[in-house]
Amino acid sequence: MPVKTIAGTLGSTIVGLCRETGGMTVLLWRVLRALVPPTLDWRELLRNLHKMGNKSVPIVVLTAVFTGGIMVIQSGVFVRRFGATGLVGWGAGYAVFREVGPILIGLMFSGRVGANNTAELGTMTVTEQLDGLRALAIDPVRFLIVPRVVAMITMLFCLTVIGDLVAVIGAVVVAQALLGVSPWTFYWSMIEHLHPVDFTNGLIKALAFGFAIALSSCHFGITVRGGAVGVGRAVNNAVVAAAVSIFLLDFFLTYILR
Amino acid sequence: MTELVERVGAQALGMVEAARGLTNVLVRTLARTFRRRRGEPGEVLRQMFEVGNRSLVFIAVTLGFLGMVLVFQSSLQVSRITGDPSPIGPQFFKILVHEFGPTLTAQMLATRVGAGIAAEIGSMVVTEQVDALRMCGVDPIEYLVVPRFIACMVMTVALTIFAVVVAFFAGALTAKLSFGVNPATFINFAEAKVGDVLTGLTKCIAYGAAIPVVSGYCGLTAGRGSEGVGSATTRAVIGSSFTVIVLDFILSSVGYFVFQGGA
Amino acid sequence: MVQLEKVSKSFPQAPRLLDGVDISVPTGCRWGLIGPGASGKSVLLKLVAGLLRPDAGRVILAGRDMTAATEDEQNEVRTRVGMLFQNYALFDFMTVAENVAFPLVRRGGVARDEIDARVADRLRAVGLAGSEAKRPSELSGGMKRRLGIARATITQPEVVIYDEPTAGLDPVTTSKVYDLLQADHEATGGTVLAVSSDVAALRSFVSRIAFIYQGKLRYDGPVEHIEEAEDPVVRQFVRGGMEGPI
Repeated sequence: MPVKTIAGTLGSTIVGLCRETGGMTVLLWRVLRALVPPTLDWRELLRNLHKMGNKSVPIVVLTAVFTGGIMVIQSGVFVRRFGATGLVGWGAGYAVFREVGPILIGLMFSGRVGANNTAELGTMTVTEQLDGLRALAIDPVRFLIVPRVVAMITMLFCLTVIGDLVAVIGAVVVAQALLGVSPWTFYWSMIEHLHPVDFTNGLIKALAFGFAIALSSCHFGITVRGGAVGVGRAVNNAVVAAAVSIFLLDFFLTYILR
Repeated sequence: MTELVERVGAQALGMVEAARGLTNVLVRTLARTFRRRRGEPGEVLRQMFEVGNRSLVFIAVTLGFLGMVLVFQSSLQVSRITGDPSPIGPQFFKILVHEFGPTLTAQMLATRVGAGIAAEIGSMVVTEQVDALRMCGVDPIEYLVVPRFIACMVMTVALTIFAVVVAFFAGALTAKLSFGVNPATFINFAEAKVGDVLTGLTKCIAYGAAIPVVSGYCGLTAGRGSEGVGSATTRAVIGSSFTVIVLDFILSSVGYFVFQGGA
Repeated sequence: MVQLEKVSKSFPQAPRLLDGVDISVPTGCRWGLIGPGASGKSVLLKLVAGLLRPDAGRVILAGRDMTAATEDEQNEVRTRVGMLFQNYALFDFMTVAENVAFPLVRRGGVARDEIDARVADRLRAVGLAGSEAKRPSELSGGMKRRLGIARATITQPEVVIYDEPTAGLDPVTTSKVYDLLQADHEATGGTVLAVSSDVAALRSFVSRIAFIYQGKLRYDGPVEHIEEAEDPVVRQFVRGGMEGPI
């Protein structure tokens, strides 16, 4: 019977953390190796792109609209106090493009596509389909995982672009409705104070987040143990790991990309 | 063309069905919460422990980094425009209390706790334990959802307070280390008014109520086998996250009108 | 007393699974249901228990119209009914003793030591004495089923429903299980509904038997006469023959 001391729990948590991080690093290595030279199954890639995009566009668009609105509401207080209606476009745009856009869209993507991916791979692992592939001399990493990783990164990038733009639309609507800031004022404010680098920085973050989400969801998917309950637990762990990675990466990238 | 219309129609019908089921669960949960006979207080405490215990480190890490990023970004902007860092601390605390604290804590909980609830309840549905509960004369909502409902509302408030503290001090550290802002200047709670606290609190309670109801619903409507559980977990995470965002929008608007003097 | 009146049920993947089924089980009767795989036997039992609602028709359980009842009213009826599930559906977050005690605890009105005494009694009767503190995951398949039987019968219900009580068990254990079910029935005098794919063993236990095929009941009567049934489908199934309509 293992002794449940604080040191024991802490120790096992750290060991668990190392195991998962190690597992993901190994997977990263295998994925990179399979990409150079690019030998992936293009049909699988297309299929995954279609499936992931299909599943996530509506939810990302809806999330983005509300997020844009929320950013404007938050800046509303400052605008009223300082009368800075000329800064609403800049403020909302900056926040959305650089931080809130990539993070929230990344979280939504992780919850939708990442979780789904883990569930799929998890079910395939539990029903021994991965072993079946190996028995047919097909490398599951090359055949299944690499297309998914590439598809997820590509998809998140596109979705962040779409999401950023839709968030701006949401922001414009709320700015007019709540603060009486006309769309023209909003637009000029953005053009005047924002630089393309603000937009592209967010996209770089999106790429990094995509990588993190893809690795996390695939890793937890193929290391599932224990049937239906195990799959649920794997999805849980994958989404949590992705969320932590997103915030960690965001911090480092913000610092590096200033 | 007709295929597209069919698909959209089917989606819409699916959403209406889900909305109906969700409202059903919400109403029954609320009814059962107030009508608890032979309640097991131990169960609520156990759920609170589950929620808190499993999320503490996770929230500390994510909100800590978020605090650092937000302060970093705003300090950067301020140093380029006005060069006066003194309003950053108080403004940061204000927005932490009424917006980012509750909302991001809830997003993290939607991920952690929402998935957990859906997975647990979903597994029970798939193994017919929920049917067995009904055969013992037990209402699954009363037995499974209500304890988690109460526990989650309480813990969302508690964890948000924790998160705000962590994020604020992480921000103070960043301000000091990267921009040399004196902690005494930064740590200033003057801007956070009663309105902010009330808005933040309301959001916490709303989010804490929404997450278990949405996740419980997804768990209870799980399909067969491990795919069913996996799918239920996914739906729960997305459903809870999205509900939090919509509630955020609504409550932020209400908060703005009520406390800022209206449109 | 259990009745089904013109009950129909369809699923997307199994349209018209049950098609206008009529059943009448008098109080105190032991009634069995047999039929080919996926013919809707488990679904029928769940309709009786009110766990599923029929698309058409009425279900009367222990004198109460389940189809018209609310979930709360159904729950009240179910406190007088016990059910053994095909996959046991044991509560894996409770111990063996807690599983058995649960229906009694939920029904209320029984003192704690009385509950413990009855639980111990039941566990002894099904041969699980000494396993009180174990978890269901630690039990073998046969033990899980016996635990399921104990949980289904602890409240001495008016109606007991057994879904595959002996599937996968060896002949000796099968006959022991039926001895147990028989002793329980003689002690409580309630109504028993049992579904089994082991036709021979089931026939020794029930007094009336029914055969379901392609959504309809092809036979419902005394168990002694089933081999001479008019319907050739029934005859072929009961005799286990290879030639015939099935």
